[in-house]
Amino acid sequence: MSVVVMPPMTRTSTSSSSSYVAVSRQNTISSHDGRSARQSKRYSTALYLSMSAKEKDLEIEDDLARAQKIQRDYKAKISSQSKKNFVLEKDVRYLDSRIALLIQNRMALEEQNEVASHLEEASDLQEGFFPNDEKTQKYGNLLFMLQSEPRHIAHLCRLVTMAEIDSLLQTVMFTIYGNQYESREEHLLLTMFQSVLTYQFDHTQEYSSLLRANTPVSRMMTTYTRRGPGQSYLKVVLQEKINSLIELKDVDLEINPLKVYTSMIAKIEEDTGSVPEYLPKAVTAEQAAENEQVQAIIAPRLKMLMDIATSFLETIIEGLDETPYGIRWICKQIRSLSKRKYPDAGDQTICTLIGGFFFLRFINPAIVTPRSYMLIDDTPSEHPRRTLTLVAKMLQNLANKPSYAKEPYMAKLQPFIQQNKERVNRFMLDLCEVQDFYESLEMDNYVALSKKDLGLSITLNEVYATHALLEKHSAALARDDNSHLGVILQDLGPAPAQLPRKENRAINLPLFSKWETAIDDMTAALDITQEEVFFMEAKATFVQILRSLPTSSSVARRPLRLDRVAEAAATLKNDAVMVRKGIRSMELLSQLQDLGVIDRSDGFALLRDEVEQELVHLGSLKEKVLEETKKLEEVFRTIRDHNTYLHGQLETYKSYLHNVRSQSEGKSRKQQKQQVLGPYKFTHQQLEKEGVIQKSNVPDNRRANIFFNFTSPLPGTFVISLHYKGRNRGLLELDLKLDDLLEMQKDNQEALDLEYVQFNVPKVLALLNKRFARKKGW
Amino acid sequence: MSQREYHIVVLGAGGVGKSCLTAQFVQNVWIESYDPTIEDSYRKQIEVDGKQCILEILDTAGTEQFTAMRELYMKSGQGFLLVFSITSLSSLTELHELRDQIVRIKDDPQVPLVIVGNKSDLDDERVVSRARAFAVSQSWGNVHYYETSARRRANVDEAFVDLCRQIIRKDAATSTIRDMERGSRRQRDRPSHRHRTHHHRGHRGRSQRPQGISCSIL
Repeated sequence: MSVVVMPPMTRTSTSSSSSYVAVSRQNTISSHDGRSARQSKRYSTALYLSMSAKEKDLEIEDDLARAQKIQRDYKAKISSQSKKNFVLEKDVRYLDSRIALLIQNRMALEEQNEVASHLEEASDLQEGFFPNDEKTQKYGNLLFMLQSEPRHIAHLCRLVTMAEIDSLLQTVMFTIYGNQYESREEHLLLTMFQSVLTYQFDHTQEYSSLLRANTPVSRMMTTYTRRGPGQSYLKVVLQEKINSLIELKDVDLEINPLKVYTSMIAKIEEDTGSVPEYLPKAVTAEQAAENEQVQAIIAPRLKMLMDIATSFLETIIEGLDETPYGIRWICKQIRSLSKRKYPDAGDQTICTLIGGFFFLRFINPAIVTPRSYMLIDDTPSEHPRRTLTLVAKMLQNLANKPSYAKEPYMAKLQPFIQQNKERVNRFMLDLCEVQDFYESLEMDNYVALSKKDLGLSITLNEVYATHALLEKHSAALARDDNSHLGVILQDLGPAPAQLPRKENRAINLPLFSKWETAIDDMTAALDITQEEVFFMEAKATFVQILRSLPTSSSVARRPLRLDRVAEAAATLKNDAVMVRKGIRSMELLSQLQDLGVIDRSDGFALLRDEVEQELVHLGSLKEKVLEETKKLEEVFRTIRDHNTYLHGQLETYKSYLHNVRSQSEGKSRKQQKQQVLGPYKFTHQQLEKEGVIQKSNVPDNRRANIFFNFTSPLPGTFVISLHYKGRNRGLLELDLKLDDLLEMQKDNQEALDLEYVQFNVPKVLALLNKRFARKKGW
Repeated sequence: MSQREYHIVVLGAGGVGKSCLTAQFVQNVWIESYDPTIEDSYRKQIEVDGKQCILEILDTAGTEQFTAMRELYMKSGQGFLLVFSITSLSSLTELHELRDQIVRIKDDPQVPLVIVGNKSDLDDERVVSRARAFAVSQSWGNVHYYETSARRRANVDEAFVDLCRQIIRKDAATSTIRDMERGSRRQRDRPSHRHRTHHHRGHRGRSQRPQGISCSIL
């Protein structure tokens, strides 16, 4: 999906030259070095390759290339899957807010229909086209401009309401800049962020309200941190820590004296049957804090909490290199914007603001509600939940170092702040140490222009929604009718209405500029000389030859003798491509010699060194690619699991809605052929294995004789009966209504008691869905 | 008679001054520092109409990334202080969603609630007129509206006390009903501050099945 700017090959040598910052390596961006002295115009092999028309010719089949192919596939899958999840989440959120009304049967039929429309499958869109070529062309112009000039969308993001932002962000982050691992799209998206952030800094009076409000910008930040790289980071850095805490279900680390006092009193009452008179039930915070028993309970907890928070902090600091480039770059923007706005601001002030993004909006939400960040499967139980909240509070305090402890008991954790404040400030400033990308962005844009097959996979409704927003805010966006945006909008005319879901189509929209023609001559566009083009081509060709030759080959020995390498390739038998490359490289050597760029007498040292460095870099690159692929695989698995979970939710809502509708229609249609489904038989062992039975009181030796029958006499109604082998009648029968189960799930009530066994509510729901999904009518 | 304990939850968008209001009310201090809240809790004893009561006040995160925590707060809270800033229209708009969620979770359109327009000291930056905020409060069924300044400690106590009064009234009404019910059916002991989680069952007329399930041993 999304724009194909560079041919796949070009990833090979992304950081060989320092003018190019590769986002594909964003996790290790700090390894960037400024080795080459001739760097000013020394565009990378990657750029050269992307300019080259002979891509097919250049393809190489070695281990690195194969590893990179797998990696690219994962990146593409993650990009498209996270878009699907975003859409599903939106639907689930919508349905979630409607389900309560449904439960109460308070929803009008009309609205039920609207809900139903949200349940129609969105992920399997059919391919389609615009009604005519003219529209295709005009929208192609529009989207090209929106993509290549992020200021328009940045401006739009400031104008839209919170209600409009979700659909805009869906289009922007998952479609227009949807390719999460494509440097050009990532850079353009970040440019858009910068523009919006700058505006916020310019329009916020007080420092203390900076980045605090919930605005389209903060929604952008949330959405951005949820893309593949952010997700991957949270998983790698935090998941293990969080999970090990969650397992300590019974460890109570409450340090609020009032709460500690209350539970202490409750315990005494439970143990002894009464509470001594010197311990009154209601006390003030001060009284509770002064109580010696309370103090004795709290002291060791403080230490443990500080240990836990320190270990979280250490993991986060150690994860500096894992931190996604884009997130670090946003930190960097916050730093430079704060310095600009408050020239006298010290590091502390700046770190506070960085902490207001990095910890407040990225790290801590994941710590406090790990389930909604896909880091754990179930909602944590009470004690771990509180511990996680305390850890997040400590980290936030550390980031902001407020002069005043709002809750007096938190002051007891001051040693944690004292011990770590310098470390965390150092870390936050380190976060900002990433390269800018403007130079490479400009180049990427040229490259984009040089491509003739730029395209965007987008849905008709996304196009129409974007058009409608632009139209609505056109007065502010295109003040001048003759501006490019104004002209395009006039060309397009009024925005079409949203199509019903069924009629929505995925289209492949060719993008091109209305004003600029594709660039044929890259040398002119990039202002580089012919000799530099030759140099890049020579380097690229030698690298390809050496990657294709067996490493045992004598010409592969260092120092390389480029003339011999060229000759070896040119005289290779049965390999026309290599022969052509060999001949070409010989030509290039002599041309560069004639131009005085390289010198035969020193063994073409200038070119040779760069080729050797490139090869070294590629060698270590393979390891990195493999390592990164492993992480991507995990991220992909996580978001796919999340997708399954979201689909499960939707299925549940579907069956519920179906139930409601058939009940309301029931009267008029008189239960037309309501057929009974089931009974389906399950053994005790089966249900235990699937987790449906979460607790069993049946003695082990009897379990083999127990089985269950599941029947659905009516949609939405189920009967579960428990049987003992050899007996005709069930021991127990349970009448279940789907909406009751749904409600229990909503209230986080997980146990369904059947006397002999205890069922797990979500698992029961999943089982019912699987078995009884009534296909008809949905 | 033992003191009643009431649970108040302070909700609203980021940076509107929830913590500053709460700190002024509970501790009589004005907080200047940049200190976004994740979740803080306080206790304060006050006298309302001659009755002593203890308020458990939960100050929450306005940062939208923490919305997943809200539902839990709404379940446990009995009264809600919905705070916006008169200098930000979107902070008022955000209250609608919060109120909807509260009414849904509590299944009670009359849930004790006050709207608070904070930062009244910044009148020259005002973008939400009194009339506009008042219109919102009217549309929610004459919910009380207060304009406060946490910085100047203006109207702070009034807003909290009003909310407290609403909770007391509600509590009294519910216990009367409970007392009446007690004759026929023993109610399970619940802490007085806990709302019943299955209240909407009544609307479907199936309140006779507290677990939503009927069991019959054959």
